[in-house]
Amino acid sequence: MRKPLLPTLLTLVLCALPAYAGELDAFAGKSGKIDIAGGTAHIPVMKEAAKRIMQKAPGVRITVAGGGSGVGVQKVGEGLVNIGNTGRALTEAEVAKYGLKSYAFAIDGVAAVVNPKNPVGALTHQQVQDIFAGKIANWKQLGGRDAAIHLYTRDEASGTREVFWEIMLKKGQIAPSANVVASNGAMKTALAGDADGIGYVSIGHIDQTIKAPALDGVHPSQENAKSGKYPVLRKLYMNTKGEPTGIVASFISYIQGPEGAAITASDGYIPTK
Amino acid sequence: MADALSLNGASGGNSSRARFQAEAGERGIRALLSGAAGTSVLCVAGILGFLAWFSLPLLQPGQLAAVLSWTWQPTSGRFGILPMAVGSLLLASSAMLLAFPLGLGLALFVNGLGPRVLAKHLGALVRLMSGVPTVVYGLASMFLLVPLVRASFTGTSGFSWLAAMLVLALLVLPTVTLVLDGQLRLVAPELRLTTAALGLSEAQSLVRLALPQCGQGLKAAAALGFGRAIGDTLIALMLSGNAAQVPHSPLDSLRALTAHIALVLATDSQSQAYGSLFACGLVLFGVSLAVNLGLRALRRGPRRAALSAHSDRPLPGLETAATGLAWASALLVPAALAALLGFLLLRGLPTVSLALFFGDTLPLDALLHGAPVFDGLWPACLGTLWLVGLAALFAVPVGLAGGIHLAEFATGRAARLAAFCVDLLAGVPSILMGLFGFALILLLRRTFWPSANTCLLLSALCLALLVLPYLVSATRAALAGLPQELRLTCAALGLSRWQAVRRVLLPAARQGILGGVVLALGRATEDTAVILLTGVVAGAGRPGALTDKFEALPFTIYYLAAEHQTPQELNLAFGAALTLLALTLALFALARRLSDGAWRPGT
Repeated sequence: MRKPLLPTLLTLVLCALPAYAGELDAFAGKSGKIDIAGGTAHIPVMKEAAKRIMQKAPGVRITVAGGGSGVGVQKVGEGLVNIGNTGRALTEAEVAKYGLKSYAFAIDGVAAVVNPKNPVGALTHQQVQDIFAGKIANWKQLGGRDAAIHLYTRDEASGTREVFWEIMLKKGQIAPSANVVASNGAMKTALAGDADGIGYVSIGHIDQTIKAPALDGVHPSQENAKSGKYPVLRKLYMNTKGEPTGIVASFISYIQGPEGAAITASDGYIPTK
Repeated sequence: MADALSLNGASGGNSSRARFQAEAGERGIRALLSGAAGTSVLCVAGILGFLAWFSLPLLQPGQLAAVLSWTWQPTSGRFGILPMAVGSLLLASSAMLLAFPLGLGLALFVNGLGPRVLAKHLGALVRLMSGVPTVVYGLASMFLLVPLVRASFTGTSGFSWLAAMLVLALLVLPTVTLVLDGQLRLVAPELRLTTAALGLSEAQSLVRLALPQCGQGLKAAAALGFGRAIGDTLIALMLSGNAAQVPHSPLDSLRALTAHIALVLATDSQSQAYGSLFACGLVLFGVSLAVNLGLRALRRGPRRAALSAHSDRPLPGLETAATGLAWASALLVPAALAALLGFLLLRGLPTVSLALFFGDTLPLDALLHGAPVFDGLWPACLGTLWLVGLAALFAVPVGLAGGIHLAEFATGRAARLAAFCVDLLAGVPSILMGLFGFALILLLRRTFWPSANTCLLLSALCLALLVLPYLVSATRAALAGLPQELRLTCAALGLSRWQAVRRVLLPAARQGILGGVVLALGRATEDTAVILLTGVVAGAGRPGALTDKFEALPFTIYYLAAEHQTPQELNLAFGAALTLLALTLALFALARRLSDGAWRPGT
C-alpha cells in the first residue's frame, strides 16, 4: 500500500545515511507514550529502538510486550496498544474488522532448529513434516543418536507458528504431545537446553546456542530467504489502528528509516528498505 | 446491638442530644463496617457474574459440546478444554498424593516423633517455605529439576507432569503441614499427661490417640492443599510443558487450566477460543467452591471422633511406620528445599551488584534524578513497590473494616454469607482475578469508558481483591482470639460497642492484625498470575502514571527465565529471584513475629 513511496524513501534513506543520529531529533522535546505488543520476533528490534529513543527523549515512554501475532492484532484492534506487531500479513478479515494499517520493516525466515550438540545437520521438507506430525520419533531415523525427539511448538497466537505450519508443514498436523512455548525467545532458550529437542524460530533469533539444519540442501539464512532459495519466510509488520499520528508515526518512520534498518540488520533480520 | 444501645441508655445523663449524635455516629460507622464486609460478597458475585456472562455464548446449540471435547486445535476450529481439566486434576491430585504424607510426616516430627531441637528448626523451615514465591520455585526448577528429569529418563524433554508435580508438592507442603500441625497442637498436649500416666510412649500417644482425633484436620489439610495446588498458575506454566493433551505417563507434557488461561488469553476477544477460557474459569471457580463447601461441612461435623472407635484395631508397627515417615519427610523436604534454594543462591549471589539494579546508568542519577535504567532491576523494584503499596491502600481499609464487622457486629444470614464469601474468595485461583480484570477492561471500553486500558491501577485493584480475604480473616481471627472478659468489662464500663472496639479491642488485637497486613503484603509481592493479565510488561521503565503499563519483579523473573537472549539476561533473572525471595521472606518473617506477639492475657 506504500509502494509508490518506496523509490522516494530509498533516496531519502541514501541521503540521510551520514546523519544517523539526526533521526532521533524527531523525538526531541516530545512526550507521550507508545505501547507495543504482539509478535515476539520483533522484540529485540523494538527494545533497542525504544532504548535509544527514551535515552534521547526522556519524556517519551515506550513499553514493549510480546504475546504473539494474534495478540498484536487483538490488542491493537481493541485499542489496548498503539502498535500491534505481527510476524505474518494480516488477513482480510482482520483488516476489515479493526481498520488496521500495516507497516513492514523486515524480511525474516522461519527455520526448524535443534540443539548445536545434535549431529543431524540436514533435513528434507518431508522429514520436517514427519517429525512434527510425530511419525518420526527418534533421532536415529535421521542419522542422529538413539534418542527420542522432543517436539516444541508455539501457541496459536504465534505468527511464526502460522508461517511454519502453512509453508513448512503444508498445514499438516503438529503432534499434540509437543511442548508449547510462548515466544521465539522462549523457543530458543528451550532448545539451547535440550539436546534432543526440535522446534522452529525466526531466523533472526538463531545464534550459537541453537542450530538450523539445512532444508533440502539449502542453509536457512536470511540471505537465502531474501533471494527466494529458502522458502519459509514472511515479513515482520507493525500495525496501527487507522493512520498513526504523533510519536507513534515518528516511531514507525524511525524503525523503517536508516537507523531502524541498522538495528534491524544487527538483530539478524533483513530490512525491507 | 440492642443491648449496647440499652447500656448506653442506662448510663443516663443530661445531654441526650450529644448521645443522639454519638448513636448516629456509631450507626454510621457500623454501616461502613458492614459495607466493607459486603465488599467480599460483591467481589465474589462480580467474578462469578463475569465468568458466567462471558461463558453465555457457549450455551448456543452445539457450542457447549464443542468446548467439552477432547481436542484443542483452534486452527481447525476445535476448542475442547477437557484435556486441560484432566491435566489440572491429575497435576493437583498427584501433587497432593506426594505432599500429604510428607506434610503428615513433618507435622508428626515436630509434634513429638523427632528430637525436640530438630523439631524447632524444622517448624521454622516449614514456615519459611510458605514465604517462597512460586515464580522463584519455577525459575530454580526450570534450570535444575527439568534438566535432571531430562537426563534421568529417556523420551522426555523434562518439561513434564512429573517436574511440575514435584515442585507443586513442595509449594503446597507448608499449607498441609501447618494445618495438621495446628490440629495436633490442639489435641496432643491434653492427651500427653493421660497417656504418660498410662505408660504409653510419645509415639503411641501421637499415632494411636492424637492422630485419630484429627480426622477433620486431615481432611481440611487435604482440601486446602488441593485448592492451593489446582489454583497455582506459574509452576504449571513454567514446568509442565503445556502440551494440550491428556498425558499417558508422568514424563509427558500436560497443560493445566490455569496455564491454559494464561497462554490463550491472548487470542481474539470475540473468538470461541476466548469464550472457552471463561468456561475454564468457571470450572476452576466450581472446584474452589466445592473445596470450600467441603471444608464447611467438615467444620460443621462432629468435632472429634470417639476415642474408643480405634482401640480395637491393634495394627502392629504403626508407631515404627509413623516414625519412619516422620524421619523420611524431615530429611527429604529440607534436602529438596536446600537443593533448589542453594542452586538459586549459587546462581544469584554472584550477580548481586549495583549493576544488577541499575544496569549502565549511574545509581545516583537513577535514584535522585529519575534517569531511565535499562538492563537493570530498578524499574521492576519500583513497579513492585508501587503495585503492592496501591493494592494495600485499597485492600487494607476494606479488609480491616470487614474483619471487624464479622468479628464484632455481624449476626444472622448476612454475616454467614459474608463469611462464606471471604472464604471462597481466598480459594479463588489468582489467575481468575487477572481474567476478571482483563474482561472488565474490555467491557468498560465497549461501554462508557473507551480509553480504559490494562495498567498499574487495574493490577493493583485485582491484587487488592486477591489479598482482601487474608486481611478480613486475619483481623477477624485476631479479634476473635481476645478473651470474652474484655468485651464484658467494656460493656460494664458503659462503653458502646464501637467504643469498645476502637479503644480496647483493636489496640489489644493490634499485633495479630498487623501480622495479617504484612502477610497480605507478602502475598501481593509474590503474585505473578494476576499481573500477567492486567498490565505488566517486560520493558516499561520506571512506573510513570497509574494508567501506565509497568514492570514488576515476579514478572521479570518469569519473562527472563523463558526469554533471556544472553547469559547476562539469565543472570538478571536469578538476581531478581534472589531479590524477590529476600523481600518476601523478610515480610513473612515480620508477619510471623507480629502474630507471635499477639494477645496474651496480662499484656
